[in-house]
Amino acid sequence: MSGVELQAFAGERPVSLLLAALGGEGGGVLTSWIVNAAQASDLPVQATSIPGVAQRTGATTYYIEIWPQPWSALNGRAPLLALAPAAGEVDVMAATELLEAGRAIRGGFVTPERTLLIASTHRVYTTAEKMQMGDGRYDPQPLRKAAQERAQRSLLLDLEAAARAIEAPLNSVLLGAIAGCGRLPIPEDAFRAGIRAEGKAAEANLRGFEAGLASVRGQVMDTPAAPRRARGPDVPTLLERVRREFPLTTQEVLELGVRRLVDYQDAHYGALYLDRLAPWREADGDLLATVARHLAVRMSYEDAIRVAQAKTRPERLARVRAETGAAPGDLVVITEFLKPGLEEICDILPEAPARALFALARRWPALGRIRPGLHLRTTTLWGYARLRMLAGLRRWRRGMWRFRREQERIEAWLELVRRATERDVALAMEVAECARLIKGYGDTHERGTGTYGRIEAALIRPALEAGRTSAAAAAAIAEAREAALADPDGRALEALLASAVAPAAPLEKAAAASA
Amino acid sequence: MAGAARTVQRSAAYRGRLDECKGDNGVSAERSFKKEVESLRLGAGDVFYGEGIVAVTKALLQSGVAYVGGYQGAPVSHMIDVLVDAEDLMADMGIHVETCANEAAAAAMLGASINYPLRGAVSWKSIVGTNVAADALSNLASPGVKGGALVIVGEDYGEGASVIQERTHAMAMKSGLWLLDPRPDLPNIVSMVERGFELSEASHAPVMMMLRVRACHVQGRFLAKDNVPPPVSTRNRLADPATFEYARLAHPPVSFAHERLKVDERLPAAQAFITEHGLNERTEGDLPAVGIILQGGLHNTLARRLSVLGLGDAFGASRLPLLVLNVVHPLVPGEITEFCRDKQAVLVLEEGNPEYIEHQVNVMLRKADLGTRVHGKDLLPPAGEYTAAVIQQGLLAFLEATRPADLDLAAVRAAAPSGPGAQADAADALPATLPPRPPQFCTGCPERPVFSAIKLIEREVGKVHISADIGCHAFATFEPFSLGNSILGYGMSLASAAAVAPFQQRRSISVMGDGGFWHNGLTTGVISTLLNDGDSVLVIMENGYTSATGQQVIPSSAMGRHGRSPGMHIETTLRALGVPWLKRVRSYSVSTMVDTLREALTTPERGLKVIIADGECQLARQRRLRGEVAGQLARGQRVVTPRFGVDDEVCTGDHSCIRLSGCPSLTVKPSPDPLRRDPVATVDPSCVGCGLCGEVAHAAALCPAFYQAERVRNPRPLERVLHGLRSTALRWMRNGAAGAA
Repeated sequence: MSGVELQAFAGERPVSLLLAALGGEGGGVLTSWIVNAAQASDLPVQATSIPGVAQRTGATTYYIEIWPQPWSALNGRAPLLALAPAAGEVDVMAATELLEAGRAIRGGFVTPERTLLIASTHRVYTTAEKMQMGDGRYDPQPLRKAAQERAQRSLLLDLEAAARAIEAPLNSVLLGAIAGCGRLPIPEDAFRAGIRAEGKAAEANLRGFEAGLASVRGQVMDTPAAPRRARGPDVPTLLERVRREFPLTTQEVLELGVRRLVDYQDAHYGALYLDRLAPWREADGDLLATVARHLAVRMSYEDAIRVAQAKTRPERLARVRAETGAAPGDLVVITEFLKPGLEEICDILPEAPARALFALARRWPALGRIRPGLHLRTTTLWGYARLRMLAGLRRWRRGMWRFRREQERIEAWLELVRRATERDVALAMEVAECARLIKGYGDTHERGTGTYGRIEAALIRPALEAGRTSAAAAAAIAEAREAALADPDGRALEALLASAVAPAAPLEKAAAASA
Repeated sequence: MAGAARTVQRSAAYRGRLDECKGDNGVSAERSFKKEVESLRLGAGDVFYGEGIVAVTKALLQSGVAYVGGYQGAPVSHMIDVLVDAEDLMADMGIHVETCANEAAAAAMLGASINYPLRGAVSWKSIVGTNVAADALSNLASPGVKGGALVIVGEDYGEGASVIQERTHAMAMKSGLWLLDPRPDLPNIVSMVERGFELSEASHAPVMMMLRVRACHVQGRFLAKDNVPPPVSTRNRLADPATFEYARLAHPPVSFAHERLKVDERLPAAQAFITEHGLNERTEGDLPAVGIILQGGLHNTLARRLSVLGLGDAFGASRLPLLVLNVVHPLVPGEITEFCRDKQAVLVLEEGNPEYIEHQVNVMLRKADLGTRVHGKDLLPPAGEYTAAVIQQGLLAFLEATRPADLDLAAVRAAAPSGPGAQADAADALPATLPPRPPQFCTGCPERPVFSAIKLIEREVGKVHISADIGCHAFATFEPFSLGNSILGYGMSLASAAAVAPFQQRRSISVMGDGGFWHNGLTTGVISTLLNDGDSVLVIMENGYTSATGQQVIPSSAMGRHGRSPGMHIETTLRALGVPWLKRVRSYSVSTMVDTLREALTTPERGLKVIIADGECQLARQRRLRGEVAGQLARGQRVVTPRFGVDDEVCTGDHSCIRLSGCPSLTVKPSPDPLRRDPVATVDPSCVGCGLCGEVAHAAALCPAFYQAERVRNPRPLERVLHGLRSTALRWMRNGAAGAA
């Protein structure tokens, strides 16, 4: 058989484009825009996708191959285009979200030899990340680094912010970026014509397209981090005291704490905060800052008064109004979802009636189950007034049962931190950090308090009472805290503590090993 | 989301002569159903641009098809949509269109081709749909057909698949159906549809055509032909029914004769047709000592690998001889042996297992006494999709094993891109496991609140066994719900709990969609349970459509295919059957649902307890509302748009709400409070204001951070005045608040 004549392949390979998106983001429309523009330019093109149920906000991909020569130059030959991407053979990788860019990199579809990566730097968190009790967000730094380093060239931009700023669909901005990236053999006008011909939402899509086009011409757009709010009034005497008595590196946190507590209660409460921190004045700065941070949060515990205060802040209405996108002539009605139970009511009662009510509830459990679901409208006078009155109760907070109990718990925790400080800064740090477990309302608060109690009894107190080195104890406490945040049913913590109190306690073994 | 997907997947198609559209930048690119259906009207010489399954539909019309039907399911859901939307065109041509109640009904419909010279085509998702259709398919295949019968199956295998991984091939083999696996190139797919009917008629056997996921969604082009109206049609009816012919019945004693007919007559007839019309394609190469026999569907991937390795080019030429099987069952022994003769070795490229083709090739060569070595699953993985990387690895292993003369193996190896190597590098760059992103309930989905309620009731009564089903509700098996102990098939949840319930101290819950209920659940689940006095709980999600597949109409849809309700109701059906305990609960009312579930799980009353969770598919609803709201605004009418929000000062970052909801629009953001580190919950602008956040906050007594904000456009005059007065007073009060603080 004579030799097969292979058509020259060099410089004649298809341009491949892989698009990673979430179902519902318009990846299919984006794909069609590109296909149509290629067809309008007489270029052989093929696109495939694997929508399936991934359409429902799951991760999905679209794959396009474009032959760089027009049909008219091919003399009737038809190039064979692949239906699926191959690792190492992608020319343009576009991702509508940072984690999906990471997934593409992981899959080998972004390679330094060939791939231009266009990726959005914004994150759409996955359920697995969102549902954690603490912070389950994937660290974006390795993602950004890989996006910068793994590609031949990277265009990183915050598509979400760019699209929102100009009120255009995200996919149209990405289309602009793809059109302008210089790798597709399609003139920009072919895209514009396609969008225009479509008619539907053409104006917004064109706006997005032009913005995307502009964004890839050089600059990397990025969003600044969301501003963090310091709340609370200026109390010159207390702030002066912070500056006079505490180390410079910790003053920012302390100042935030003071403002927060004065806003929460009053200036005396702010002063109490500083008094409580006094023992750590000479201690390690990081430890002081950590204790100060948690103490401020613990002292401003969540009760109905604080919620009412937050919901009646003067600037809130404007913020909510902006969220709804209301135009000047529109009205905005806000409804709060409150469900006060026995506990929330006892929280704001003095000790004697609160105890009596609890005793009653023990006798008649039905009483404890009463939880009227309130739909309170803060945009009506009566609704707003009720919350204002509730917020106004703070001047009597000191006489309330919850206040007493919280102060006792805070003092007990501070005492543990203080004792740990005498032993070792690292241990004290871990004990202080355990305050993070106590947060939320109702069941959540109860669960957190219980979890903290278990760690205190099983690890913190034994560590303080044992005379051995505390490095292992600190590690064990840190591990237990992570376990406590692993699942809401406390299974991970139970398992960990069960193994920790087993005869040959790993804690002791670890302590022995590190000694 | 599927709503978007519906429009999205409808690729552009337009009318234009091949020479006219070259270099024409002004072509229309509107993507709507109308355009898509328009492309079905193209005539000889026109160029069709569009998606695989639409191309198949066009091919059906070019083949003189008389009736079409099917049941939706990815990756061929869209085909049913197109058939329905093209109903006018079909009616004009005298074609009967049926949206079947399930795949068994679709397969049984092909029975029309047993007695009559009618060409019929039906479509469904495989393997699952083929399984449901199996009974009818067997009884169709046994007597055989007079008119061409074609089944288009979407082979839901590999990346993007949503069902168990099995081969349709097995079903074709055991029933004597011929199976096409066309090279995924639109002109070839279209031609295979046309040839498929001819093959069916020539051999009197039904034919299946499988299209892999990507082939179903491929966007390409082909040169159209004129549509051919069927000779016998709804407009040109037969005067009389077929004469009685016992041989046309799948019944003894003729069933014994049918079995013999299949092998003695139909098989040879099919093989002769395949050879005569060259359905399988051969590519000659200059390395004659080796060759590759492959399923047509894998051709593009293989061809690309060959060209990258320098063994082929971008236009399909190959140095290795190829036998591309557009028909994978039956094989033609003569074709195989002729291809293999004088070859030292061949590679059989066959995706899935068992490797039926490879086995048959071995037997054929043995019988022909040929010594050609057969490689296949020894060099390629036994299971899983044959991706580019897999095929390249197999190809290199084959070349290593056979070392063909005149081949510079070192050069081929050097040309091989290091796909796996690139992946390893990338893994180094991103060490931690990336969080998975499976599909989930859409924003505002009415099914999510039911699972919030189940999670809450489980806190109270303890864990219960949950029989899950096929449908969107299967997303509850993912986080944050992780609910569901088994999935046995579409509409099978209640039936699959039949032998679970008797062994549980607590009652079990079966979850079923309304799609699944009508598809199968009514008989296999409800009737079977009633027949056996089963004591368990069934939750039926009544959202009005088969939502997972793109909101197709079901018997209980409010609006059917002809613009009126099909008139069937789940509730009346169940009452008629005598279901003793039946409650209908608005699915968003979490507290009521918790109470109802509690009662169902704990009542001493025995028997089947059915809870209908009532809530329209939010995707469909939003699509409907968009139009309605636009109209109301245009007329200056009052429009209230609700959405939810979280007071970030009140949220403490525990995320209980997310664990009970999992709504895409309920997410997290960095804490604006500098003293708190954990991210706080936030509601993003995609919120549709379904109300679940508030319901869950109440039902679970979660936290008071949630609020609902209703934007009122075009408020009534009195409302506006009242609001103005309120605002003034509130401003005064707030300023007081600011002063006090």
